Amino acid sequence: MELDTIKLCCAKCGFTIEQYSATELAEVPRKAKRYKYLLQKSSICPACLASGRLKEVRVTRESATAPPGGPVQPSAAAPVAHERHPEAPTPMLDALERGRWPSHVTELRQTRYPLQMYEQSLQRRTTQWDYGGYVSLPGVAAGVLVRASARPEITKGSNFLRIMDPCGNFFKTDKLRRLCEIAEKYAYGMLHLLSTGGDLEMLGIPTENLRPAVAEIMAIGFDVGSTGDDYRTSEECIGPAQCDLALYDTLGFREAWYKRFLDDVQYPRFPHKVKCKFAGCPNDCVRGGQKSDFFVCGVFRDLPAIDQSRVKTWVDQGGDITTVCTRCPGGCLSFNNGDGLRIDGDSCLRCMYCVNKVPGVRPGGDRGVAILVGGKMRGKFGPMLGKVVVPFLKAQPPDYKEVFDLLERMTEVYDEHARKKERVGDFLLRIGLSEFLRLAGVPVSARVVSQPRINLYYHWEPEEIKDERTAVQEVGPPQAGV
Amino acid sequence: MPGIGIPPLQANLPPIVRRNYGRWISHEHPRPGVIKHDSETGESCYTVRAGMPPNARVSAPTVRKLCDLADEFTEGYFRITQRNSCEFVGVPENRIDELMGRLADLGFPVGGTNRSLHNTVCCTGYLHCHLAATDPAAIMKALSEMLLKEYQNDGLPAKLKISGSGCINNCGESSTADIGIIGVHRDLPPIKVDKLKGCELPLVISVCPVGAIRPKGPGMIEIDAKRCIHCPACSVACGALAPIGSPMGDGVAVVVGGKAANTGAGPAMAKVVVPYLPNNPPYWPEVTATVRKIVDAWCAHARKDERIGDWISRIGWEKFFERTGLPVSMKIVDDYDARAMEYARSNVRFRW
Repeated sequence: MELDTIKLCCAKCGFTIEQYSATELAEVPRKAKRYKYLLQKSSICPACLASGRLKEVRVTRESATAPPGGPVQPSAAAPVAHERHPEAPTPMLDALERGRWPSHVTELRQTRYPLQMYEQSLQRRTTQWDYGGYVSLPGVAAGVLVRASARPEITKGSNFLRIMDPCGNFFKTDKLRRLCEIAEKYAYGMLHLLSTGGDLEMLGIPTENLRPAVAEIMAIGFDVGSTGDDYRTSEECIGPAQCDLALYDTLGFREAWYKRFLDDVQYPRFPHKVKCKFAGCPNDCVRGGQKSDFFVCGVFRDLPAIDQSRVKTWVDQGGDITTVCTRCPGGCLSFNNGDGLRIDGDSCLRCMYCVNKVPGVRPGGDRGVAILVGGKMRGKFGPMLGKVVVPFLKAQPPDYKEVFDLLERMTEVYDEHARKKERVGDFLLRIGLSEFLRLAGVPVSARVVSQPRINLYYHWEPEEIKDERTAVQEVGPPQAGV
Repeated sequence: MPGIGIPPLQANLPPIVRRNYGRWISHEHPRPGVIKHDSETGESCYTVRAGMPPNARVSAPTVRKLCDLADEFTEGYFRITQRNSCEFVGVPENRIDELMGRLADLGFPVGGTNRSLHNTVCCTGYLHCHLAATDPAAIMKALSEMLLKEYQNDGLPAKLKISGSGCINNCGESSTADIGIIGVHRDLPPIKVDKLKGCELPLVISVCPVGAIRPKGPGMIEIDAKRCIHCPACSVACGALAPIGSPMGDGVAVVVGGKAANTGAGPAMAKVVVPYLPNNPPYWPEVTATVRKIVDAWCAHARKDERIGDWISRIGWEKFFERTGLPVSMKIVDDYDARAMEYARSNVRFRW
C-alpha cells in the first residue's frame, strides 16, 4: 500500500477541488505551498457552494481508481434556444456599415448578437451593458466572463468563454470550423479573433450552455482559462516559425510555459492578474515591454554579424545606407566602399535597427533572454513600461528550467508581498526595485538602471558596516598621473 | 480538474513553416500586403495580409469563408497576427494575385505591411462592455475608412499603428500605439445604496488610486468629488458603483507616440495630446479630424524610418503642437504622482 494521490475535497459533497501526486507534493515546492494554503483556508466548493475547510483524502495505489477529472465528455444536452430580438430600426448601425473597410456591424448582423444593445448605446452615447466579472463553473475555475445587461427588455446579459490560442496563432481550418459550429450551436455564432490579450473568445453563451460548450471545446483540443487573478494567456511573437530575426524559440518557449504553469492559468490565486509575454528579439512585436508583467525578450551580446558582400550588393542596387547610418540610435555605423559597413562596438545598443533595414546584417551570437518586470496599461500608477530585472540569461530548451524557475520565484515574491488588486508594476513602484531584486534573489548589475540614483537616501543594515580602510603604509601618498 | 492546455505546437503549423522552422534567413516586402521570407533551404514563403473588421469579431459565416480561402491557397492553415490581421502563410507565388482578388471580393483589404497603416486594434467598447466611455470599434471603422489609402500603400515615413480603448483601463492597448484613442469619463461613479451590501467595502476603498472613497458610517461610503480621477477602478470592484459615465460626460482622449521596438528612441508609452473630444456617433468627426492632422504633420515633416514617437523626440513637443496645430491644454501637464515632476522641464533648450 503506497501513498499515491492526495486529494482536497469538499467536506460536504466530496467534490475534488485539487489533487496532487505524492511525489510532486514532496518535490515541487510550489505545489506543496499551494496544498498547505488550501488546507488552511476556508474555500467555497464550486459544486455545492458550501463554504468551509477542505477535506483531505489520501488515495493509496491499490485502492486508486480511475483518476477523476480529465477531459469532460461532451454533453448530449440540447442547446438552449436564444432569446429573440424584435426587429427595430438601426440608423446608427446602418451608417457604420457603409464604406470600403470591412464593418463589424455586417459581422454582427450575421449572428444572434442583440443589435439593439449596440444601436441604443450609440444613440444614447452611453453603454447599455451593466456590471460584469468572472465566474467559475464546477470544474472550470477560470475562463468564463459574465456581462449583465442594463436593458433587460433587449437582452438579459451575456457570458463569454475565453479559449487559449494555439502557439503562433496558427489555426487549422478544420478546428476553426468546429469552433464555428460550437459558436453557432451554443453562442451568438461569433468568434473574437483574437482579443487584445491574445485569447480567442466565444461570445454570448447562455448560462445553461456554458458547461456543454466547454465540454465540446475541450473535445476538439482547445481549453479555456485565463480570466481572473491568475497567469493570463501568454503571447509570443511569430518567432522561428516565420521570422528570420528570432533569437530564441518563442513558440517552443510558450509551449513549455504552458506545460509548467497551466495550473496557474486556470486557477486564480494571485493578488491580481499576471501577464507573461515572449518576444524573440528587441523589436518586441508582442509589445511585451509595455503590456506584460513579466516580459521575456530575446537579446544578443555579440555585435551584429555583417556579411560585407551582401551589404555591398544591396548598396550597389540602390539600398539607402546613408539613412541607416544617420538613423542608427547609437550613432555607431559607418560605411565606405573600401571598408564596407563598420560598427563601433562601445556604442552599439543591439537595438536591431541595422538588422531590420540592411540585408546581410544579422543579429550577433551569444544569445539569450532578458527579463523585464512590471509593464502594464492601467492600475494605480497608470501605464508603465517594464523594467529590466535580469539583463541576460541563457534560455535552454526543452524545459527552460532556469528562466521558468526565476519567473516562478518572482511571481512568488509578488504573491507574498503585493496587496490585493495591485499589479506587479504598482507593487514594484511601491516597494522599490532594489527590494524586489533582494526578495527575488537576483543579483544587481549596471544594466538594470538607466542611470544610478542622484540622492543618497539609502539605508544601511548594521551587518553591512565593516572596516573597509586599506592600510596607509601599503598605499603611500597619492601619486600624480604620468 | 487538470486542464488539457494548448494544442500541441506542431499540429497547427503549416507544412512550409514546419519544413523551415528556425531556418529563415531574410525577409522582404515585394509589394504592399505581401511579405516574402527566404529560408536557408532555398524555399521562399509568401504571406498575404488582410485587414479585419474593427475589434476582430467575426461571424461564423465569415470565418468559414476565410477557411475556404485557406483550404484553397495555403493547405488549410491561416494565422491571426498580433494586430488581428488575417495572414495566409505559404501562398504559391503565382496565385498571390488570385488570392488578393478573392479577398477583395469578400471585402477584405490587403495591406498593412512595412511603411503603411497597420490593422487597427481596439477593445469591445459599447459592443459588450459596461465600462466603455466611447465606442472604439466605430471610431476604428471611421479611421480605417479615412486611412484606407495609407493601409493599402507603402508611402508613410514608417509604420503607423492606431489603437482604441473604450476607457482608461486601456484594454485596447492604446498607450502602446503611435496614435491611441482612449475613452474618458468625466462623471463620478454612482453609489447604488441598495446594492452596496453585496460589495467588499475595504476592497472598494483600497482600489481607489487616489483615496477618493472613504467610509461614511457602517456599511456606507462617500466619494470625494475633488479627488476623483474618473477611472473605473471602483466600478470594476463593486457593482454598486457601476456603471460610471453619462452621455454628456463621456468622450475621447488622443495619445500619441507609443512604440515597443528598441530602435529609434526606444520603447515608450504614448503621451496625452488631446485630453477630451466629444462622443459623436456614428463617425466621430472630431476624432478623425484630429488624427488626420497628426498623420499629415508627421508625413510632411518626419524623416524616413521615423515613427511618430521618434519624430517627436527629435523635434520636441513644442514643435509637435506647432506642426499639428493642436491646442495645448492645461490637462497635458502631469500632476498625478511624485514621478510627475520628471516630465516638467528643467532646461531652457527650447525649439522656437
